[in-house]
This record gives sequence, C-alpha cells and structure tokens, in this order.
Amino acid sequence: MPVSSRKNPVDVTFSAITAVASFSVIVLVVGILYVLFSESSLAISKFGVWHFLSSTDWDPVRESFGALTNIYGTVVTTILSLIIAIPVAIGIAIFITEISPNFLKGPIGVAIELLAAIPSIIYGMWGLFALSPIMGNYVEPFLQKMTTGIPLVAFLFQGTPMGIDILTASVILSIMIIPFTASISRDSFNLTPPIVKESAYAVGATKWEVVKNVVLPYSKLGVFGGAVLSLGRALGETMAVAFVLGNDHKITSSLLDAAATITVTLANEFVEADKDIYLSSLFYLALVLFMMSFITLAVAKFFLIRAERRFSR
Amino acid sequence: MMTREQVRKTEGYIALLLCTLAALGGLFWLVFILGDVLVNGIKALSPALFLNDPAPPGVEGGGLRNAFIGQLMITVFATLIGVPVGVLGGTFLAEYARGRRIARVISVLSDIMVSVPSIVIGTFIYAVLVKPVGHFNGWAGAVALAIIMIPVVLRTTENMLALVPWTLREAAFALGAPYYKVITQVVYRGAAAGILTGVLLSIARVAGETAPLLFTSFNNSFFSLNMKGPIASLTVTIFQYAMGPYDDWHAQAWAAAFIITVFILILTIVGRALIKWRYR
Repeated sequence: MPVSSRKNPVDVTFSAITAVASFSVIVLVVGILYVLFSESSLAISKFGVWHFLSSTDWDPVRESFGALTNIYGTVVTTILSLIIAIPVAIGIAIFITEISPNFLKGPIGVAIELLAAIPSIIYGMWGLFALSPIMGNYVEPFLQKMTTGIPLVAFLFQGTPMGIDILTASVILSIMIIPFTASISRDSFNLTPPIVKESAYAVGATKWEVVKNVVLPYSKLGVFGGAVLSLGRALGETMAVAFVLGNDHKITSSLLDAAATITVTLANEFVEADKDIYLSSLFYLALVLFMMSFITLAVAKFFLIRAERRFSR
Repeated sequence: MMTREQVRKTEGYIALLLCTLAALGGLFWLVFILGDVLVNGIKALSPALFLNDPAPPGVEGGGLRNAFIGQLMITVFATLIGVPVGVLGGTFLAEYARGRRIARVISVLSDIMVSVPSIVIGTFIYAVLVKPVGHFNGWAGAVALAIIMIPVVLRTTENMLALVPWTLREAAFALGAPYYKVITQVVYRGAAAGILTGVLLSIARVAGETAPLLFTSFNNSFFSLNMKGPIASLTVTIFQYAMGPYDDWHAQAWAAAFIITVFILILTIVGRALIKWRYR
C-alpha cells in the first residue's frame, strides 16, 4: 500500500469517512437481523421456532399464527418459476453467444437487459390485466383437458381456472427472472476460452456438440450460481406475485388455487395488523424470509466466486 | 436409415432451433409487456393527469399530481442519502482497503444485499423509523430506498475505481500529492463516467420499487410536500389503483406505469450508453 507514512490529517479524516460509509453495509445486515429478531420476540416466545415453521394456522381472530402456508406458497411458486425460466434462459444465452449473427448480439443483449430493468410492479399489473385472463380463459382449461385421467398429474390442475392462482404467479415470476438468469449464463459462457472451442470444432464437432460438451461443462459453476441467484431473487419478489396470487392461507395440491407467499402476506397484512402478536408474527415471517434469501444468495455467491477463480488462474 | 453424421447434424439443428425459439420467446414477452404498457398508458395520458390531484372515482378530471411530486421527492432524497454513502464506501474498498480481507467481505455482503427482498427492508424501516414516530412518513420511504441504493452504488464505484490504472495514482503520488487528493482529483476523474452510470442504474432500480414504500411512506390521496407525514408515490398508487374496482383508476394506473417504465428504460439506456462510450 502506498499510503504515505507521514500522516496527513485530511487524509486520515477522509479515509475514516470512507471506512464508515463502507461499514454501513455490515451495520445494515446486522441491524436488520437484530431489529427483525427483537420485533418478533413476542411471536418467537409464544409459538417457538419449530411450531411456527410447521403450523398451517394463520388466524388473526384466534391469534394463532404459523408460517407453513406462507413458506409453502413461496417455495412452490419459486420452484415452478425456476423450472420454466432456467431452460429458456440457458437457451437465450446459447443463442446470444453461439448462434446469433454478430450484428444481432448487441441489440438482443440490450433487449434482454431492458426486460430486466422493468420494475416488478409493472410485471404484476400486466399480469393482472393481460396475462391472468389469458391463463384463466385459455391456458388453464386447456391444461385441465389435457391432463384429465392421467394419474399423478391431474391433481395438479383441479378446480376452477380463475387465472388468479399459483400457476399464473409462477409464469409472471419466470418472465421476470429469465433476463436475469440469461445474462449471468451468457457471461459465464463467454468465459470459455475460445481456443478450447476451436479445438473441438477442429476435430469435427458440430456447433451443438461444442455447446453441450465444451461450453456447458466449462461454465456449469457460473450457470449454477446464476440459477441459485435467481432463486434468491424469486424468493423475495413481492409485487410481481401480489396481484395474481389471491393471498389465501392454505396448502393446496392444485396449481389452479390461490395461495399466499411470505412476501404477499407481508404486503397485504402488515398495515392492517392491529394486535401486537399479529404484527410480531409478521416480523417473524420477515425474519424467516430474510434468512432464507440471505442463505440462498450466499450459496449463489460462493459458486459464482469459485467459477470466477477457476478462470482467472 | 440415417448415418451417424446425419443424426448428429439433425440433433444439432433441433437443439439450436430450440435455443433460437427461446430467444424469440424472450423478445416476445418484452414486446408484449412494453406494447401493453405503451398502448394503455398513452391512451390514458392527459394534462389533467399531471396537473390535478386525485378526484373521487367516477368524477372526471382526477390526476396524480400528488403521486408524481411525492415519488420525485422520495427518490431525490433517497439519492441524496444513498449516493454519497455508496460512492464513499466504494472508495474505501477500492482504495484504502484494496486487497484487504475486509474489503472482500464487504463487497460480498453488498452483492448479497443487492438481491435481499426489498419488502424485508420495508419492515426493518417500519420498526426503526415509523413505529417510534407513530405514523407513516416520507423520510422512512426515502431511507428505505437509500438502503437499497447503497450496495448498488458501492459495488459499481468499487469496480470502476479498480479500473483506473495504478500508474496514474503513482504519477500523482510522485508529485507529492496526499492520497485523498489523488483520489478526489485523479481517480474520481478517471472513473467519473462509470460512477455516474452506477448512480443512474441505482436510481432506475429504486424508482420502480413498491414493496419498501408500502409501510414506510404509505400513500396519501392529497397533495403533500411534508416528508414527515405519509406521502404518495406512483408505485404504491399503481398497486392501489390496479387492485381497485374502477375503470378510471385502472386507466390512471396504466398511465403511471407508462411514465415510470419510460423513465427507467431511458435511465438504463443512458447508463449503458455512457459506459460503452467510455470503456470501449
């Protein structure tokens, strides 16, 4: 470090100010954990940890609260949206890096990133007004017709298709995370050394074989990290799903039923919570969500750092 | 019978075709969403939207002046709080703590904070800035947005400062300049375009945030400049109006969505163009 040994007072002050600014990030993380923890202490002492996480009760009148219906909704919508989004996102990344002619690479990349910049409330609102009627009138009845009589699948599409349900919420969520996943996958694909690809072409591999056997194995850590990062994002998404999920606290096997995620419950009920234990339970939910997403994101970061290191060597 | 070569070729064509379809699908959603926002938004635009405050449902001539001003105030104050902290924090990581373990830890933590659910930040601010005061207030909304901005600005600043060649700093050191002067007069100048991009993108990021405002700045159907009381914002208004039962509410929600989307897309495009122009 070139920091001069003769201490200049202004320099010391400036470095102290910058240090305080950057430590604010640590203070924030610790502060959020501490505040959520202390605000939910009432609910923690009343319901405990295991009972809160495993109870399906959500009854403001009897003052009995459990997180399981919310966790279930969060996990199901997130996983379903990832199942839809990841293959499409990888396809887009492959198209941009390998297939598209050079003059299209830029514009398509920009378009994907614009899609990522659109705020989630626009997705949510569009979902309510445009996608939900399409899902309720055409897609969901069609899925029902296709699956009747098939065991193990039919129960997924029971009930009246309304368009306000888990499936619609997951589709909107997936549209939202596709650009994000795609741009991380593209960046990982671009890390593949060209010389390895060229060697594969030289021994007669087709383009797809190069992608399948060279590019994907090379970038799997990065792509995996990107997928987990998208998972972390999807877990905490609020506005995109708040419009079309219905906020119904129940565990349902049908994707055509309304449900509730942690975020949607918070968005809808936080302001209405009139009793201390109700508000405290909502803080408890927020704490659970914070831990879930923080751990997921930390895992994603771990993989992405390892992926980077492998190539910087 | 197909030969081995033919099988390989066909398999390749099918796979590449699927990837192309995926890309077209992605573009399809972009066109679909943007098209809907454009068509419905422009239809609902009128001078009254910007000049008038909300009218009761059914009454002609209501507007969203309160929400435009409120959104502007919350975003400006969030920027005034978030950007200095972010830029200075990034400076510490890239300059004074360069290469130290603490810099690594903070930048990984910021990366995580960038993606932490924004609604959790809303609940945090509710407990810290709303509950003690006893009522919703605009400052709480601005601080919540600032907290979302800080890690974004911090990380971009760190990356952009790291791109400034070390020899440039050494040249300044050689002239006897203390480190703070080197940073403010040499390094910041070299990285100005990059830092500005980070700021623009962070504004674009928070301008569309709704969840952290729901229980901080809340909403207000009246025109208000008082940051100590509840204040309207476009995004929360969109949420309320779109979920509401009235057609003119829906139209105004589309118009607000149009304005926000255009604003954010322009910021994003300018930011990207800036960085391309500077770091080609």
